[in-house]
Amino acid sequence: MIPEKLRVVGRGIPKVDGPELVTGRAKFTGDLKFPGMLYGVARRAEIPAGRIRSIDGSEALRIPGVKAMLTAEDMPGPNIIGIFPPFDQPVLASREVRYEGESLALVVADSREAAKRGAAAVRVEIDPWEPVLEIDAALKPDSRKIHPGGNITFSKKLIKGDVEEGFAEAEVVVENTYCTSFQEHAYLEPETVAAVPGGDGRVTVYASCQSPFHIRGHIAANLNLPASRVKVVQAYTGGSFGGKDDVATEIGCLAAAAAVKLHAPVMIAHERGESIIGSNLRHAARIHYRTGSLKDGTLLAREARIYLDGGAYASESPFVTMKALIHAAGPYNVPNVLVECTAVYTNKTYCGAFRGFGVPQVTFASESQLDELAGKLNMDPLQLRRSNGLRAGQATATGQIFERSVGLLQTIDRIAEHRGKAPAAAAFPRAAGQKRWLYGRGCACLLQGISNGAEGIDVVGASVQVSQDGSALVGVGLTDMGQGSRTVFAQIAAEVLGLTLDRITVRQVDTDSVHDSGPTVASRSTTVGGMAVYKAAVEVKTSLLKMASLMFKCGEDRLRLEENFAVLTDNPETRIPLKEVATAAYWTGFPLMHLAFSRAPDAKFDHETHQGDIYIAYNFGTHLMDVRIDRLTGRVEVLRHLAAHDIGRAINPVGVEGQVEGGALMGFGLAHLERIEHEGGRIQNANFADYALPSIKDRLPTETIIVEDPNPTGPFGAKGIGEPPVAGTAAAFANAVAAATGVRFTRLPIRREDILAALEAQQANNSS
Amino acid sequence: MLLEFELNGKPTRIEVEPTLRTLDLLREVLGLTGTKEGCGRGECGACTILLDGEAVNSCLLYAAKLQGRKVTTIEGLTTEDGTADGAEGGDPNELHPLQEAFLSEGAVQCGFCTPGMILSAKSLLDRNPDPDVQAIEEALSGNLCRCTGYGKIVRAVQKAARRGGSGGGSGTGGSVRSGSSG
Repeated sequence: MIPEKLRVVGRGIPKVDGPELVTGRAKFTGDLKFPGMLYGVARRAEIPAGRIRSIDGSEALRIPGVKAMLTAEDMPGPNIIGIFPPFDQPVLASREVRYEGESLALVVADSREAAKRGAAAVRVEIDPWEPVLEIDAALKPDSRKIHPGGNITFSKKLIKGDVEEGFAEAEVVVENTYCTSFQEHAYLEPETVAAVPGGDGRVTVYASCQSPFHIRGHIAANLNLPASRVKVVQAYTGGSFGGKDDVATEIGCLAAAAAVKLHAPVMIAHERGESIIGSNLRHAARIHYRTGSLKDGTLLAREARIYLDGGAYASESPFVTMKALIHAAGPYNVPNVLVECTAVYTNKTYCGAFRGFGVPQVTFASESQLDELAGKLNMDPLQLRRSNGLRAGQATATGQIFERSVGLLQTIDRIAEHRGKAPAAAAFPRAAGQKRWLYGRGCACLLQGISNGAEGIDVVGASVQVSQDGSALVGVGLTDMGQGSRTVFAQIAAEVLGLTLDRITVRQVDTDSVHDSGPTVASRSTTVGGMAVYKAAVEVKTSLLKMASLMFKCGEDRLRLEENFAVLTDNPETRIPLKEVATAAYWTGFPLMHLAFSRAPDAKFDHETHQGDIYIAYNFGTHLMDVRIDRLTGRVEVLRHLAAHDIGRAINPVGVEGQVEGGALMGFGLAHLERIEHEGGRIQNANFADYALPSIKDRLPTETIIVEDPNPTGPFGAKGIGEPPVAGTAAAFANAVAAATGVRFTRLPIRREDILAALEAQQANNSS
Repeated sequence: MLLEFELNGKPTRIEVEPTLRTLDLLREVLGLTGTKEGCGRGECGACTILLDGEAVNSCLLYAAKLQGRKVTTIEGLTTEDGTADGAEGGDPNELHPLQEAFLSEGAVQCGFCTPGMILSAKSLLDRNPDPDVQAIEEALSGNLCRCTGYGKIVRAVQKAARRGGSGGGSGTGGSVRSGSSG
């Protein structure tokens, strides 16, 4: 299936949509203008919990320019959104407030300013309730129920072997509790949609979004329209990272309802503060972890009890629960595993998808445990990981066995080759007050499942259409939010069809013209989406080869397509431009367009124990980080960061580096800088001055190491790389800081002030 | 008020509310949507423009402040350097060396921060054609990017600097993989 010599796949080419982006010509949703366009701004609850008594728009409607106010009663359908069951989130709340950012009404006006003034003028009466804010408070039997079914959103168990037996045999056991904080996606473009009534009974919604088909489905349901009347077009999207899913359905429904009601285009563009309080965050987690091994380091048992604070609505808590459950035991061969994961409702901004889906949280806990164990065993941390690392033919925590593309050990070995000497390792100045700089090295291994896996069916549709001029138009049902999937899809189509990249166009996702391909999540674009493009291109290639064989009067097996020509393999100078082949194919009646489906094999597993085949592949990785810490200020300087990932095959190495470097800094933010601060259920730092987003001065010296252990389920052997670098970086950072300071920090982020306080406490202990 | 200023090399006269934000003047009134709004508070740099060559946040700047001054937006980048008439009908494929370097180095992912980032970099290179890494960090520290991790952005600015701001270039870049096996 894979030709020996690849021409386009494997090359680090610039983004195919790059020229539009660097010139500012690319149209993001907020750049679009429609005649007579109105603007919508939501009135938000501003308190975390309470009974809504009244919403009065009379004053707002008197403001010049204000055209209308919509409340829950104006939603023709069920007024519900949600990605997975339980679908529990109202588009506009009418009875109860469950978090401060909750939208209660939408004010529509002829300018953004008037709409803002109108929203502020809406009079809302709410009887406040004592908010339920913490996991333990939510779980108390007598706690107020945030939803009718209680405060547990979703709870699952994974059982492999017999964990008690494993611990009984263990000679060394480590045990600890780890916490992580809420993280904001902070894509630079806030969420934006524009709904345009078509005059033909249809409504078109342009959206900055991740999953256009989710938006279409929700709009159809909430407007009581057949889905065929709704068209969603993904505009250029300024980052998403999991964040523009639920919230895009919310504002998509609101804008569409207003547009249909007022017969005018309506745009909703969030401001930064709304983007932070009014759209999902990464789940905060509390993880109690226990690991047992023999004295030689052989892992016998791992047990994790995970609680996720999911905020006010289910959103993608079920998905995140599953991912945390499945990945908690790490990329190791462990005979006995027990994991329990429970997502809990609280009266805070809801949590959902965020790059990694719970895996960064559990990887931090799991990899901290490995280092604590290595410390007890007096073993090299990387060696401990290597000796337990998953190999082809061994069972994952779910009992799934991969015979191929299990490149974990290769990533460990590549790190070992590249790591060099630990910085100032000979002189770890643990003794108090001696030297200013503390040096430390940390490593971490991880795995991240590719595809929807156990969380749902995984189907992607892609079309490839070759015109008579020999150029190809590619359509895929998955979105490029900046990660570069358009470029990857173009490379795959170009490789199969023998075209140069300038002859390929990958169009924006438009729900009218491609198959519903589900959400663009779970690092599945390159693997499952790329496979769909591959299959569609192969079908069109069949027509081109058939035509070329008629033109050459020779068998198809003697021909190949390359560089825009059909070429006689034995005599490459004998060639016909593909343009002529395509024209002839058209006039001969050979099909030049194909719609193909890539369907990942269904997950097969036991729903009680989660034993079975979950994902089509895993990305495996190993990270290493060298740091030095200023003991006077707590400042951490990252001296070295190696990130090795087994990605099967790099379709575009520059794109891979971009995902690794960007994901790494996001993981560094999670581990060191970023934390959404709540007080009484209200977010205190909903802006970029107070929320510490990494700046250029915080960037990491990340070196990407690509390991290619081909994946039989991906195009040209590829596996996804979008999510995995986050987890590896965060966990390696925590271990590096622990190595430098001698203090095991169990809560992320580990901020400068935390380090300083711990060092001072350490010094006080030592001197007393 | 009647506002007269130079926009991307062209004299511009327009009646505006003096309290209009420059960002809204550019985007809403003049249709130059390459300048982006990321926070509206001067904290992210997505709305960066050049005012008499200096990088400023257009979300914090009243339009009245433009009186008699020279404004460059991403649409006018190539015009300003005389390499092409980027804003109006010149060769749309002509790129400024910074744009080309951002593209070839992979310094662009979603592209929303890119226009502001490029303008901050231009302001730097116009003042300091051979900046060290620290100078690049200083100049771009007000421009947030959530996608790239910034490493490739620094390399792109260095690459453009090496080309000395001259037009064109081969665009052969793209980095190579750092390692491979299997």
